[in-house]
Amino acid sequence: MIYFDNAATTKPSEAVLSLFQRYSESFFANSSSRHALGREANKCLEEARNSILSDFRLTKTHKLVFLSGATEANNLAIKGICEQYKNRGKKIITSAVEHPSVLNVFRRMEQNGFEVVYLPVNEEGKVEPCVLEEAMDKNTILVSIMGINNETGTINDIHSLANIVHRFPKAFFHVDITQAIGKISLPYEEIDLFSFSGHKIHGLKGTGALLFRKNITLSPQNIGGDQEFGFRSGTVDMAGSCCLAQAVHLAKNNRQKNLETVQILSSYLREALKENKEIVINSPSDATPYILNFSFLHKKASVITEALSHEGIYVSSVSACHSKGEPVSYVLLAMGLGKERASNSMRISLSSMNELEEAKIFIAKLNDIIERTIDR
Amino acid sequence: MNYDHLMIHYGELSTKGDNKKAFIRELGKNIRHALKGFPTLSFRHDHDHTYVVLNGEDPKPIIEALQEVSGIQKISLVYRSEKDFASLKENALSLMKSEQGKTFKVIAKRSDKTYPKHSYEIARELGGYLLKNCPSLSVDVHHPDLSLHVEIRDDAAYLYAHTYPGAGGYPLGMNGKIMMMLSGGIDSPVAAYAFLRRGVRIECIHFAAPPYTSDAVLDKLKDILRQLNVYQPDIRLNIVPFTKLQLAIYQNVDEPYCITIMRRMMFRIAERLAKLHHCLAIGSGESIGQVASQTLESMIAINSVTNYPIIRPLAVMDKLQVIQLAEKIGTYEISIRPFEDCCTIFKPKKPKTKPKISECEYFEKKFAWEPLVDECVRNVSVIIMKEGEEAYYEHDDLQEGRE
Repeated sequence: MIYFDNAATTKPSEAVLSLFQRYSESFFANSSSRHALGREANKCLEEARNSILSDFRLTKTHKLVFLSGATEANNLAIKGICEQYKNRGKKIITSAVEHPSVLNVFRRMEQNGFEVVYLPVNEEGKVEPCVLEEAMDKNTILVSIMGINNETGTINDIHSLANIVHRFPKAFFHVDITQAIGKISLPYEEIDLFSFSGHKIHGLKGTGALLFRKNITLSPQNIGGDQEFGFRSGTVDMAGSCCLAQAVHLAKNNRQKNLETVQILSSYLREALKENKEIVINSPSDATPYILNFSFLHKKASVITEALSHEGIYVSSVSACHSKGEPVSYVLLAMGLGKERASNSMRISLSSMNELEEAKIFIAKLNDIIERTIDR
Repeated sequence: MNYDHLMIHYGELSTKGDNKKAFIRELGKNIRHALKGFPTLSFRHDHDHTYVVLNGEDPKPIIEALQEVSGIQKISLVYRSEKDFASLKENALSLMKSEQGKTFKVIAKRSDKTYPKHSYEIARELGGYLLKNCPSLSVDVHHPDLSLHVEIRDDAAYLYAHTYPGAGGYPLGMNGKIMMMLSGGIDSPVAAYAFLRRGVRIECIHFAAPPYTSDAVLDKLKDILRQLNVYQPDIRLNIVPFTKLQLAIYQNVDEPYCITIMRRMMFRIAERLAKLHHCLAIGSGESIGQVASQTLESMIAINSVTNYPIIRPLAVMDKLQVIQLAEKIGTYEISIRPFEDCCTIFKPKKPKTKPKISECEYFEKKFAWEPLVDECVRNVSVIIMKEGEEAYYEHDDLQEGRE
């Protein structure tokens, strides 16, 4: 098996799995319970919270809410800000290439009466700071832009974008760092709110968090027993949260080492793919090496994906989140690559667990499949 | 008062003279199978009805299960009474008292001709008695709220007021077996259901063209067969590896004729497998005019490759009707999952709606398709779906050449 679909999800690490078992067995009490076992569970939970905050070096300025993943975090951030601060202004800004868990929440806000600006991206998929600057005004209360694009691996200049947002005191800056965490360093102290999932960094599905500045109040989306400071009611998944802390810690500590491993694979793949006349690469040259997106000029990407799958090689042809809908990549369309290229793209996404040998097998199989499949 | 029996009225099979015993036996088997989740029940068969003795079970889920069994016209919830007229009166009265309704009539039938009163007398006297003893009831012979049926049979009298429609048709297995072409779309499962209702067993054939079709289609087919397992507890699915033949077609045939030739090949293969597995006809979900390959002109061109009967239960049905049926049998939600089948992947821009047989023959002379058809038949893989069991892959030992 060759697993090149790590941007969809990663294999949980041994450390995380054993920790889950241990914590679930030893501290199964409800962390809200007042008895000794409940207090112990709560202590573990708070340790996990502090561990993540200190890994981001944000213990003083930010707080953290444990959630079920980035989708819930994005929902809480965007809806929470819009509902809480709607009296300050009714304009919110995002980019055209965000993940559906941001984009569709903005669309909902638009239906609820907000003025929404969907910023265009350049041919590399980046939001240009000057474009954001032009869209900003004193009615803007929220800007949400992703750190790394999940389809192309394009990296946004978060520092410059943050600087622009902060020139407008009423505006908050949210960043979906789901694909960026563990891959690049970001100026986290400049970001007002950011969200991520555990399962993209060898943690567990169903875990994630939203970090945000201490002075921010969010209108809660889950109402009940006021867990997580009242921002997210519902019994907290203590063991899952501890696993998230563990996954974040490992991702941070091994970031440089992992990057070097993946860089070697990525460079090899990029060069090898360039040699095939059928392939055109969509990821910009300065994208994260973890994600490599390309299109087929004549073949049908879904057929190639299926053929690879028969060989035990797993890649994505359209982002897994909307594979049941229209099979055209709106991200590639927004980059101006045209409908043909946008409907026939493939994404390889790597992890440090992958090996160069796998990349070599992949290239050989891919070339062979391209050779023997008919044009679309 | 509690009803203690279900009376099952046979469907069209009551006209079937000599075969009747076999029909009743087959239906009895299917009824027992459908009700195997209720071990306390017992069964009794006679010439006109099958009785389910409830032994205290709640009749509602049992009736629902029986409504899925083909060969049953209707199901009545009955009370078994002594035949003497005094107990008949008493039981009829307590039955009517336990029912809701303001108006009633009595319908009597006497198959025991030795009974001292004839049907008309029974109805009149029983009606009079009930009217006198239930002050809230009045008679309405045209649109009564309650129709009390009284059947005097040899063994006992049966009283009932509630009858539920059955699936109709013939008991499964009485009308042979058909090779059903299953694509995974909306139509073919509904066509399969139409056969099952008619008492025809199905065996399925599917054409897979990996990697041009996704393996996810197989999961879809398994889920569809799970739904059809309600009507036929074991179904065999033959999966034909079609890629090589399909590619050969596209290399040798002009684009507008590709679908026509592809369908001709499919029917050739279906016929071979049908013969091999003792199926007496081929079933298809085609509907006249729905797509280019389903016009009458196309059907002639495609049909001419086989002498086998091809039965198309949906030929004249409206798409909305088909969808309604698909929803009823629980296959619609599965069928609309978007995965590509071998027709959608090679969609010619202008498929021929009025293909000519001579043209088809011209294209088929251009390449040696016979060995490719043989290869398809030889390399069929089989999935068996049995009710309540995991799907399992069978190595096909019935294949040609090894018989």
